Amino acid sequence: MKELIYLFHDVFPALMSGLWISIQLIIPSVIFGASMGIIAGTLSVYGHPLLKVASKTYVTIFRGFPLLVQLYIWYFGLPRIGIYFSPMAAAIIGFSLCSGAYQSEYVRGALLSIKKGQLLAAHALGFSRTKTLLSVILPQALRRALPGCGNEIIYLIKYSSLAYMVTCIELTGKGKILASASLKYTEIFMIVGAIYLVLVSVASLLLNRMETWLSVPGFEQHRA
Amino acid sequence: MIPQGLTAIKEGLPYLLEGALVNIAVVLGAMALGFALGLPLAVGHVYGNRKTRGLIGIYILFFRGIPLLVLLFLFYFGLFSLSGINASAFTVAIVVLGLISAAYQSQILRGAILSLPEGQMKAALSIGMSKKKAIFFVILPQALRLSIPGWSNEYSILLKDSAVAYALGVAELMARAHHVASRTYQHLYLYLTAGFIFLLLTYLGTKGLNVLYKKVGIPGYLR
Amino acid sequence: MTMGQTILRVENIHKELGGKAILNGVSLSVRKGEIKVLIGPSGAGKSTFLQSINFLVMPDQGRVWLEEKPINPTDKKALYEYRQQVGMIFQDFNLFDHLTALANVEIGLIRVKGMKKNVARGRAMDELERVGLKNQVLQYPAQLSGGQKQRVSIARALAMDPKVMLLDEPTSALDPELIGEVHSVIRDLAIRGMTMLMVTHQIRFARSLASEIVFMENGRILEKGPPEKMLSDAECSRTREFCSKINEMSGHLC
Repeated sequence: MKELIYLFHDVFPALMSGLWISIQLIIPSVIFGASMGIIAGTLSVYGHPLLKVASKTYVTIFRGFPLLVQLYIWYFGLPRIGIYFSPMAAAIIGFSLCSGAYQSEYVRGALLSIKKGQLLAAHALGFSRTKTLLSVILPQALRRALPGCGNEIIYLIKYSSLAYMVTCIELTGKGKILASASLKYTEIFMIVGAIYLVLVSVASLLLNRMETWLSVPGFEQHRA
Repeated sequence: MIPQGLTAIKEGLPYLLEGALVNIAVVLGAMALGFALGLPLAVGHVYGNRKTRGLIGIYILFFRGIPLLVLLFLFYFGLFSLSGINASAFTVAIVVLGLISAAYQSQILRGAILSLPEGQMKAALSIGMSKKKAIFFVILPQALRLSIPGWSNEYSILLKDSAVAYALGVAELMARAHHVASRTYQHLYLYLTAGFIFLLLTYLGTKGLNVLYKKVGIPGYLR
Repeated sequence: MTMGQTILRVENIHKELGGKAILNGVSLSVRKGEIKVLIGPSGAGKSTFLQSINFLVMPDQGRVWLEEKPINPTDKKALYEYRQQVGMIFQDFNLFDHLTALANVEIGLIRVKGMKKNVARGRAMDELERVGLKNQVLQYPAQLSGGQKQRVSIARALAMDPKVMLLDEPTSALDPELIGEVHSVIRDLAIRGMTMLMVTHQIRFARSLASEIVFMENGRILEKGPPEKMLSDAECSRTREFCSKINEMSGHLC
């Protein structure tokens, strides 16, 4: 009985408030991350040579550094040169830039898979280079990139737990605090884990829906 | 400011590199454990009965769906101490990363097995092999070769994930970078150094696996 | 030709796949030294029939005898024993892609028959020489032509000392100029008295070799008889129709 009261009175509300923080971290990171991915991916294929180099460097570094190292740079590193971020801002910046680097690779692959004829056909109709890109190439490429990018979004949800390491107390952090106080590590982290499982499952369901919803008949999304 | 940063890097470097060895040990341990577990999981997932497949599915869902940090806390503070096993943070990091990697490696291998033509199994059975022998002598030698690019990817993920072992107090590269940074107040320089060491290790590892891939390649068979 | 005792007998094979009946009670027997050729339109169930004879496809119903001994497919050991004695040649060769030609032939000898490596090597070399591939023994499947691959697969089956061979369209995946080398290996087998059941659309080849031609359609055997009769004036109108079509085609090909 005491356990149940503890569970409902203390654990549940605390974890829910943590979950809310996690969601506040995840949603902007998904939006900024996808945007970064699209921009960097597009520039790496169609950009000016200098921009190509820039986007390639970005991708190499942000995929090559562990996310934890990146978060530490944003939160503990930059203040040494006078740039300060709140824990939450540092986490969102870290997640977005890292996820964007991974997503850009899928965007890039998808862009390269679009047949050259599409480009020629648009030019023949008098489309400018930018317009061709925005209204012909990207709509096709993004559909193809969606499964891979969706996977990265799932990763992002899981890695959002690392925000705890830069003192942003989200779901994992709340769990850690509760568990340290009650010493019920196993129970509490099982519950925390279960919440992440639900989060990840809901997200992959939504992504699948989106794929179906956006699908074009006969347009193969999954290249072998 | 810059000279101070460089001095801190210079002085800290041997200490950091020692930490990198810890990361390498964690990754190798986790890859090995992940392979030892992932192989039977993959075979069971492809050839097992409904119940086996269901159980393996649950295992994979669990270890792929829950964040690494949560699993590390769950195992280190929870399950291990609950069961009375006195394991070091280093050991727990290897075990947890290994269990996660088993889930991913099983999927890599499963994909490779399923990509083989059905006729390979049929031909093996047709000369009188048992299913077990066919899997062992015909299917796996091909599937393992095809899995190497997937492992290369898995290696680079594990290497980056090994930095999270810092959360349990494992004295790996990231932990040491933070330690030196706190002493010298040169955080930015030390984290960047740590990042580049990880980058370099990723590069070397994937290059090495690429060489292996070419070496074990069957003439005219692997792309 | 001297016909001996019955080597292989199958009775009343039924098989349903995905709710669709593929085989509707097929029965057949092959005597020692006999060569039976199965013909019929695609989708007739010929491949499924061959594969259910050695239980690569498990029939829903039906029985199989080898040298009048009934085969019980649920007895694993007996099944493996039986499959060794029934050589199978596939349309798309199914060589083990990670092994050289030599190792492809050796693997059954070593892993199934439990032969010593050097003994197996000698035997495998003999078989490969017999199919004319003495100089290709160390090549990998991807380095061989289709015709060479099929000859390796024949050597692989022969090494197991089969009592009967099942050949499932052995030349249909081959470029026309490579068909001849495989045909001559099969012809050589026939001369040495190998018992065979073969699916093929190479009608001239079938005519010159078969002791009997069996026409299959919709999972049933419609008619069987000696090649001359089947190919020129079959009784069943469907058989006649099919044979005249196939005669025409082979006329163009050859």
